[in-house]
Amino acid sequence: MTLPLPLQLPPQLPLLSLLIFAPLGGALALWLLPARAARHLVALTLLITLAISSAVLFNFDPAGARFQLIERLPWIASLNVHYLVAVDGLSVLFLPATALLFLGSLVASWNLVHDAPRLHYSLLLTLQSATLGIFCALDTVLFFFFWELTLVPLYFLLGRWGATRDSPLAAARYLLIMLAGGIPLLIAFIVLASSQPTIPPTLSFDLIALLAAPLPRSTQTLVFLLCLLGFALKVPLVPLHTWLPQFSLAAPGSLTALIVGLKLGVFGLIRFAIPLAPAAAQDMHWLLAGLGTVTLLYGAVGILGQTNLRIALAYASICHVGLAVLGLASFSAQGAQGAVALLLSFTVATGGAFLLLEFLRQRTGSTDVNGLGGAAKSMPLLASGVLICGLAGVGMPGTSSFPGEFPLILAALQSHTGAGMAALFGLSIAAGGFLALYRKAFFGPVTRPEVAQAEDLRPRERVVLIALIIMIVGIGLYPAPWFDIIRPAAEAWAAGLSR
Amino acid sequence: MGGLSEILWQEQSSLPLLIWLQLIPLIGAAVVFAFKERSTAVIAGKVFALAELLLGVIVTSRINPTLPALQMAERFDLIAYHVAVDGLSLIFILLTALLTFLMTLYGMSRGMISPGRLFAVLLVAEAGLVGMLMTVNLVWFCVFSALELWAVFHLLRRWASSRAEIQALARFIQYQAFGWALFAGGCVVLGWAYADAHAGYWSFDLFELVGAVPAGKFQTAAFYLLFYGLAVRTPLFPLHGWLPNMAQHGLIAVAPALMVGVKVGIYGMVRFVLPLTPAAVEYWQPYVVGFAMAGIFFTAALAFQQTNLRRLLAFAVVSHTSLLVIGVFSLHESGIQGAILLAANFGLAATGMWFIVGFVFRRTGTTELHELSGLFERIPFLAIAFLSFGLAIVGMPGTPGFDAAHLVLEAAIDRFGALSTVAAALGNVAAAGFLLWAFQRAFLSPHQEGRELDVDRTLPMEYLVCGIALAAMLAIGVFTEPWLRLTETASQAIALRFIR
Repeated sequence: MTLPLPLQLPPQLPLLSLLIFAPLGGALALWLLPARAARHLVALTLLITLAISSAVLFNFDPAGARFQLIERLPWIASLNVHYLVAVDGLSVLFLPATALLFLGSLVASWNLVHDAPRLHYSLLLTLQSATLGIFCALDTVLFFFFWELTLVPLYFLLGRWGATRDSPLAAARYLLIMLAGGIPLLIAFIVLASSQPTIPPTLSFDLIALLAAPLPRSTQTLVFLLCLLGFALKVPLVPLHTWLPQFSLAAPGSLTALIVGLKLGVFGLIRFAIPLAPAAAQDMHWLLAGLGTVTLLYGAVGILGQTNLRIALAYASICHVGLAVLGLASFSAQGAQGAVALLLSFTVATGGAFLLLEFLRQRTGSTDVNGLGGAAKSMPLLASGVLICGLAGVGMPGTSSFPGEFPLILAALQSHTGAGMAALFGLSIAAGGFLALYRKAFFGPVTRPEVAQAEDLRPRERVVLIALIIMIVGIGLYPAPWFDIIRPAAEAWAAGLSR
Repeated sequence: MGGLSEILWQEQSSLPLLIWLQLIPLIGAAVVFAFKERSTAVIAGKVFALAELLLGVIVTSRINPTLPALQMAERFDLIAYHVAVDGLSLIFILLTALLTFLMTLYGMSRGMISPGRLFAVLLVAEAGLVGMLMTVNLVWFCVFSALELWAVFHLLRRWASSRAEIQALARFIQYQAFGWALFAGGCVVLGWAYADAHAGYWSFDLFELVGAVPAGKFQTAAFYLLFYGLAVRTPLFPLHGWLPNMAQHGLIAVAPALMVGVKVGIYGMVRFVLPLTPAAVEYWQPYVVGFAMAGIFFTAALAFQQTNLRRLLAFAVVSHTSLLVIGVFSLHESGIQGAILLAANFGLAATGMWFIVGFVFRRTGTTELHELSGLFERIPFLAIAFLSFGLAIVGMPGTPGFDAAHLVLEAAIDRFGALSTVAAALGNVAAAGFLLWAFQRAFLSPHQEGRELDVDRTLPMEYLVCGIALAAMLAIGVFTEPWLRLTETASQAIALRFIR
């Protein structure tokens, strides 16, 4: 997709660093202006980030080298740690998706942050910097740095601006679980770095170099298991998922959208866990596929028992990352491609659904189906928005999820037929569960006056809705340009596994 | 088992800088004392503390960290005066100078009684610490140690903050005198062994002792005496009994920072215990490490039981010291380097937390966790600084703790296997747990009914103290390279004695 556009920037410009540090710069600039200007400055910063991430996308040549826009600077020379950032076809699309998601999150909380707004928005922007850093970092220490850096803003955003009285508790729990999850990751990276077969032995944290040098089988097993543990907590894979429902209840909708929309855990699996220990991963395909299937079924069944739309969405998200992991366990280009496409679609669709539910909660004070009932009468636009996002969430053909879900199911059926069948079954349960909840919430008789008097989407919110529909339906009907970006990288990824 | 080498100061600078490094705080103490309680005393105290910090930086820039030798050495044989520094001691010297400088700022903002006298005692304590960190003679080490303990004792007696101080003071004296005596006993054993081998000529100089380490039982005895003497000081579980009481009842921040902010215990183990009793160290290594691992969890469990923020921090210190000991006793160059850097990081972070506790105490008059609430609303900067220091202790990337902990873990994987390493690291998460828990109770929990605390906003001086500490921490955390280079060769030189 080399477009002859004026956006084609000179290669010297450190685009990725600009992208990563732009939000951080915005966070600092916030403190120079009065508090009431904060949200406008944040909106500006997020738009700039979106623009830079689009520039990255336009400068990325899918037919070119695997990793592009590489920037490498020595960081801690005596440990051989570098500031090394680059993008490939698997990660480049996550950058604009992240920018969009944060923009949506800002819109959802536009009128809600009255309390220390500058602090709130600096934390939000720091979180964005760290997230973009995770997608770009190719040095394992740098990656870990950004990985852990996300925790501090999340802790404060949840603990200080949470939706319930239990928020500080949920925040501490999340932070501790994630810190504990960081340990196996760090140990895996140290083991990786110190087991390079070079003479004299040097530490190596450089992903490109690590990918080029295969490890002994026993080390691979250790590294894979440690990485799997660390990333599975973040994904989250059953049985390590317990923090998510609690988090999504305690957090304001805008924050839940971020945590559910950003699929950092699966990205970690794709980027680090599987390629760094390919033989061990293939030996333990049953573990990956099993965890994926269990997670998928658990998420699907979980939806059935819910009455709260937000929690149900969190379970739907669990269900679909399960599918992505199951597809990855096929270790084929098809699986990787499907997983990345599905995750991207989820960033848009789940993120969008959470934002719409936040609009709903602001109007009716509830996202529980028992408190809604007939909401489509007073809010037809909102109701149709939730339906479209929800259908994307269950993988309806014609929505953005389908082009990702279809190859995933194919890959799963080929490599793990039984698990693939179970996945199909689980997905239909999830779809049924969602539609049943949707019916209860939006149709039927109106019981509460708040619902009857609620106002439909306001102009600013309509813009969000239209953007969402364009993306979900547009990508769903014409996925080819996006797949062209992902496919070469996915093929290189799969080829790297069969060394 | 090679001897040690040194480079004399004449080759590296035109002035004997180390003697000045020791004299500045002493002169400063005398000047401040002479000014009594005039306002000039306070200014003089700050000036001397700052001068010491600058001189420390100059010395650091003069040495060559790529050489394994001890550098800038000064000798005066008549009184067995022998000092020298390397990267490891310089880290601690810089930390001492920085902490003392921050304490002079902090002492002002708290509005202490008789600040002139306080600063004089503070500078004496600094002189003691700096002396311990640069001497290579065991007797001088004991003398400086006694000087510093006297200064802290004086601080506790005169500026204690509660009535239970007598008990805390008694506990402090019992423990410290006992620890000091053990260490002195160890020195005597080593000196005696040297005298036996050298026709009755006694020496306590590290350079001479290292060539004639006692054999067999004597070495074990020396190891135990030195190790436990330092373990009381450090403090290492289960010899930590003096710290919680002192932390709770003593002068907030200053006294604990002097005793545990600068981990001379860890430094002493690396500088003296490892080279002087190598066989005993190797033999007892598994036991020491085992105790340390137990200590991490035991003290973490105790920390969860605390209802007082000051006691809780004391237990946090003890829990972390265990991790340092694991690093040192991995006998691996990365482990030693990591332990030293981690010790400096803990020192800075823990002192920052003590300062904030002091600021909170000034506002609320209490550090009982159930009486504190909702402080975040009034002092958000201090709250975020508190959490940042807490995360630095846990080794969050971006703080010096990360690279240091990373080195310790690397060494631990190499020596003790992945499983024990994961266990030790989980202890660290437990620490994160109790620090967070304390943070939430003090800073985030909503106000209780009818107990609206009238809390002042953050003062400029408080911004300054915490800002400097925070900036130093983040700067070192992101630019770790110079510090790693400073300590790398020196750690290798020590670990070289234990290559298997």
